[in-house]
Amino acid sequence: MAPDEFRLRARYRKGGRLRFLSHLEVARALERAARRGGMPYAVTKGYTPRMKVAFGPALPVGTAGEREYLDLWLREYVPAPAALRRLAGATPEDLAPTEARYTRAAEPSLASALTIARYEAVVDGVVAEELEAALGELTASGELAVEHKGKTKVFDLARSLPEEVRVKADGGRSVVTLTTRMGPEGSLRPEVLLSAAFDVAGIRDAPVSVTRTDVLMEEEGGWARPL
Amino acid sequence: MPEAAWHGGRSTFGRRAKAGPAHPPPGRAVLGKTRPRAAALGELAQRTAALFGRVERPARYLDSEWGARRREDVSYRVCLVYPDTYELGMANQALAILYDLLNSIGGVAAERCFVPARDMAALLRAEGVPLATLESVTPLRECRMIGITLPYELTYTNVLETLDLAQVPLHSSEREEDDPLVLGGGPSAYNPEPLAPFLDAVLLGEGEEAAGEIVAAHRASLEAGEDRATLLRRLADVPGVYVPSLYEPDSAGRPRPLAGAPARVLKRVVTDLEAHRSPTCPVVPYMDVVHDRATVEVTRGCTRGCRFCQAGMVYRPVRERGADAVVRDALATLECTGYDEVSLTSLSTADHSQLEDVLRRLARRLEGTGISVSLPSLRVDAFSVDMARLVSAGRRSGLTFAPEAGTQRLRDVVNKNVTDDDLLGTVRRAFSSGWRRVKLYFMLGLPTETDDDIRGIGELVARVMADARAAVPPNERGAVRVGVSVSTFVPKAHTPFQWEPQLTLEEVRRRQAVLRETMPRKGVDLSWHDPEASFLEGVLARGDRRLAEAVEAAWRAGAVFDAWTEEFDLGRWLVAFESAGVDPGAIASGKREPGAPLPWEHLSSGVSTAYLRLERKRALAAEVTPDCSFGECTGCAVCEELGVDVVLGGERRGT
Ligand code: SF4
Repeated sequence: MAPDEFRLRARYRKGGRLRFLSHLEVARALERAARRGGMPYAVTKGYTPRMKVAFGPALPVGTAGEREYLDLWLREYVPAPAALRRLAGATPEDLAPTEARYTRAAEPSLASALTIARYEAVVDGVVAEELEAALGELTASGELAVEHKGKTKVFDLARSLPEEVRVKADGGRSVVTLTTRMGPEGSLRPEVLLSAAFDVAGIRDAPVSVTRTDVLMEEEGGWARPL
Repeated sequence: MPEAAWHGGRSTFGRRAKAGPAHPPPGRAVLGKTRPRAAALGELAQRTAALFGRVERPARYLDSEWGARRREDVSYRVCLVYPDTYELGMANQALAILYDLLNSIGGVAAERCFVPARDMAALLRAEGVPLATLESVTPLRECRMIGITLPYELTYTNVLETLDLAQVPLHSSEREEDDPLVLGGGPSAYNPEPLAPFLDAVLLGEGEEAAGEIVAAHRASLEAGEDRATLLRRLADVPGVYVPSLYEPDSAGRPRPLAGAPARVLKRVVTDLEAHRSPTCPVVPYMDVVHDRATVEVTRGCTRGCRFCQAGMVYRPVRERGADAVVRDALATLECTGYDEVSLTSLSTADHSQLEDVLRRLARRLEGTGISVSLPSLRVDAFSVDMARLVSAGRRSGLTFAPEAGTQRLRDVVNKNVTDDDLLGTVRRAFSSGWRRVKLYFMLGLPTETDDDIRGIGELVARVMADARAAVPPNERGAVRVGVSVSTFVPKAHTPFQWEPQLTLEEVRRRQAVLRETMPRKGVDLSWHDPEASFLEGVLARGDRRLAEAVEAAWRAGAVFDAWTEEFDLGRWLVAFESAGVDPGAIASGKREPGAPLPWEHLSSGVSTAYLRLERKRALAAEVTPDCSFGECTGCAVCEELGVDVVLGGERRGT
């Protein structure tokens, strides 16, 4: 990184109907917002210069996010509140940035630093106690084998689920809160865990709506938000 | 829930729950729009959104793109439809222009709709959800007007699919007072007969001025409480508007005007492109669409005079936007959209008299931003390569050229004023400037083509390959690629070749084999445009109103997205043609004498039939006709007929 560049970190959300965007679509929309907002963004060197921007771990199509992050490198220093205003003013509401500050140039990338994700999954038409029992049985077994594109991946659940999975009844719905550890070996998606739990409990696949509520860095002595 | 009547696995929804006869007796009182609107809207939006998790690429159906305009308090809502998927339709500039223009009229809202992919269409049908606009999720059937672009023939079944999903009666004759007005426009409007029964009206030519006039006429008619028949007559008085139901085909399939309808409908054209600013704040899609970039139309019309090219005939005359306007609009569009690329579009951008100036100015303004400029079409000449270098320093994607034919004789027949030396010189310049791939377009089955002409394509490609390799350092020769794309010539209405037969499928296959004889293999990527799809295109391009029955039958048999290779099935169409009693081979490949009746004779692009006949004669004599935008008028008559003129920003130079 050039010494005269400034690394601005912003938090944004992915909500409403825009939960149905893919990671690539979200990234492109926010890059366009940065250009529309007239941000003095830095560009990469080389044949096809591109905006210098980096995103946290991908969110799949259909999953909402409450605290998502991006790093944008600027050629010029713009006070963070002004930068946030410019960015937010050019972004659709359901992707709106809500917080921004500068961060040290030497920090590791968001994608590699953010390894803990908290989720809330709302499951329609399933009895909370049944689901809780099934999830308990599943986690007690220690492992979960997942088929994906003809390959089987085995998750060590003690490692993948660093906190206890909780289930709460909310009217006719169950609200599941869970925390997963992401890593190069793969990340356990809440839908996958829930669908395995449905199998255990003999429940037909029920509609699940997932929101990632937080993404965190693992540091000595605990977990921390990147902003 | 409306009753669903099933036809071959496809539902046609009733407009309302119709227990009685399918066609209500005339004079029946019709309910106005009495639905509790706001409540119904929210509910429909929710029902639609509930389907997003169950379909592929839901970004096609979202409604909150940047630049999308949603207006609630309007009395007149238009739905603009592009009859293909979102990712294709969002590339259409006419749609963006009309969206901008109609939304600027007081009391009018223009919204968009595209054809749902099969998975979404199945869900909409299963759940009884009517097709709705993206912006306000208003059912299409509740819009005042549905304006459908007719970009090419292979989207015709998509038009029916759209109307059916919208729960709007397919036939103009079945529509009732509060059904929307269904208006078609675009390139295929120049022979709309195969769709005639499904369209209430058709606009011929450019919409910048006409679209507002049509809406105004419709609003005046609503105001006056006119019935549908009166409205259609009123629309027929708007210049450029063709109302198919006011014409009855004679025994030769030639539509004849009924009382009061104009004998001939002449296309609309804007005299000055600069009077209509290019839309600078178009809708910015989330999903990766075709041509995902900002665009500025730099020129309209092209008079190079290629005799096979319908666009080159019907979009005359040439009108350039001046350099100042182009630069201003390009920068404004980038600023408003946030795109990282701007494309300078036209049928032949390298012909723009001030292109170099425009490119230099844009390069200066965009330096250091990572934003690039692109040119969609290139001429076969050195100037074009220099312009490409100017916009894409470092970008080494391929360049594309269209020599169209393999021999000089045949290129003279089609008036493609390019020589072998032009092509080879251009290729050498491109490869020595750093490009490592070019793509060449050719056509099979052009009038008078012989096997020697076909073999000439392979020989020309071999020379291109040799020159390209010679122009690059020896250690990079392995990277040299020449893409060769071969399509079948489809004679189109309103061109000098409108009377010519199209090759039969058997003959196309034979000629493909001839082409393979001389086509080099090494370093060449040969691709064919599906000849079966070209055959269907040819039938629909020159068919008359009798084809409508076949279009409907094919759609009922499941044809939709015919332009998509994986969806296209000629067999389904052949059955449909048979059930409608038409011989597709006779339409596509039958011989027509100039002077024989044509189904589009009552529709005029302004270019005189005499000129088309003269051009045909010159073609058969392999005589070329120069481009009037570089020199003298060559007498196509469009300028005089329409009271317009060629508009240039400066003097045109080049070949
Ligand atoms: S009338 Fe003449 S100047 Fe006008 S487009 Fe035709 S050939 Fe060109």
